[in-house]
Amino acid sequence: MTATWRISRVPLEELQGLEVSVLWHTEGKGDEDLHVHHFQRINETGLKEIGVENQQTIRCVLPATPLSYHGQLIRLSWCVRMRLFLEDGREILSETPFYLVADAQRSPCVATPPQGEESTTPTQGKPSMDRESRAAQTRSALASLRRD
Amino acid sequence: MPWSKKRGQRTLGSPSAGIAGEVAFSAAAFLSGVFGVSLVLISHFAPQQVPEQVSAEALSSSLSSWVMGTVSIAAIVIGATRLVFRVMHLSASDEMRSVIATKAAALERLAPGQGSDTGLPNVPRGRAITDSPGEHLTYRLPIVAGQDGILGPALLAWFWNTAWIILLAVVVSGFWIGRPRWILTGLLVPFALIGRWSFLYFVTQLKQRLGVGPTVVEISEHPLKPGGTYDLFVSQAGRLKLKRLSVELVCEEETFYRQGTDVRVERHQAFGKVLSRERDVEVDPQVPWEQQFRVEIPQNVMHSFAGTHNAIRWKFVVKGESTWPSFCRSYPVVVHPPGATQNLSQP
Repeated sequence: MTATWRISRVPLEELQGLEVSVLWHTEGKGDEDLHVHHFQRINETGLKEIGVENQQTIRCVLPATPLSYHGQLIRLSWCVRMRLFLEDGREILSETPFYLVADAQRSPCVATPPQGEESTTPTQGKPSMDRESRAAQTRSALASLRRD
Repeated sequence: MPWSKKRGQRTLGSPSAGIAGEVAFSAAAFLSGVFGVSLVLISHFAPQQVPEQVSAEALSSSLSSWVMGTVSIAAIVIGATRLVFRVMHLSASDEMRSVIATKAAALERLAPGQGSDTGLPNVPRGRAITDSPGEHLTYRLPIVAGQDGILGPALLAWFWNTAWIILLAVVVSGFWIGRPRWILTGLLVPFALIGRWSFLYFVTQLKQRLGVGPTVVEISEHPLKPGGTYDLFVSQAGRLKLKRLSVELVCEEETFYRQGTDVRVERHQAFGKVLSRERDVEVDPQVPWEQQFRVEIPQNVMHSFAGTHNAIRWKFVVKGESTWPSFCRSYPVVVHPPGATQNLSQP
């Protein structure tokens, strides 16, 4: 997976550090499970060296599992998460979700309810992706974050 | 929303107050432990230095010194561990904690006998499933552990009723020597009712175990993959007259969550496929009920998944309904994601 990021509208002097993670986490009725697959922490000196307003790149090889899933009790989501630590102690969190699907699949797995129940379609309006298009979506979503 | 856990911003107090309370408690436990150990050491090596406020009997005997020393050391360990843990995590984000935990787990895996990386993170290996070869097909699937147990009900009935007999003896002896124990006498009846229930429960379980013979489930291949087709053999032995007998393939979401101080579990059937459903089935000890099926795993289903608080489990379920105690037995299997090849040879 390749993604790019850039920070705007936050002056470099106000930044103490940042963390960029590629992770999956669960949502739903149960307690959250979270696993970080790729992690990068950049401190104040590092931020000054790279210049946060310049476009930066994250590259990592995604694992085969767990795949994205939309169930009744459990939802498993992958995302690129960026956490900014400010000088005054505050934190800014920005998250860009993406789907991890197997090559043979066209869309994320969904729960198929037993007969008589209505099917949940949490992926309405979202296109299926292979690895390349997932990366593309990650890039575009991060770009939209920059615009915000 | 299918789930109903509140996701609002309300909290019962400020997080920093909670952290401060935890740090204060840990520090107090640590300091109390140090104080206790100091007292024990002083009493042992310089008894004349023990403060007057401390009772002489408290530290006089060897046993009390040991007890106080053990409790104090436990307080030091608990207090210090909690204190170090909390201080180390004060400035760490959730992601940073997860990375630290993963690194710690990787170090643990270096030890001999630990699990290894299979190339499919969070997918159960299911080694126990392929331990036993089948007679008709390649593997005989194991039953879910503990589902068919009788030891628990037997021990409950045994211990409770033994305790009740001892209580009865105490009450009778009280009347015998002319000093009746009325409170114990009053407790005899409710305790007897609980004893009766535990005995009947044990008998029901025993009847079910003796009457319902073994269920054998065998499969041609394992692990399973979406889009794959597999042979399944099911055999039900015993002497049974069932209203209904069914075999199903089930995918279940299982989630654990804390509610107050309780840990609760909730399950939801995410996928279900009936392979066989027969009415009025008669099983004879000489002629077990046997069927072979062709099972197809749908293409777009979730693979088996095991997290810390959430899991997705696949299993075959054999259910029998009758006036005789009904039964329901589960046989877990592992479903891999499509196209995945698990590296089982990796050390």
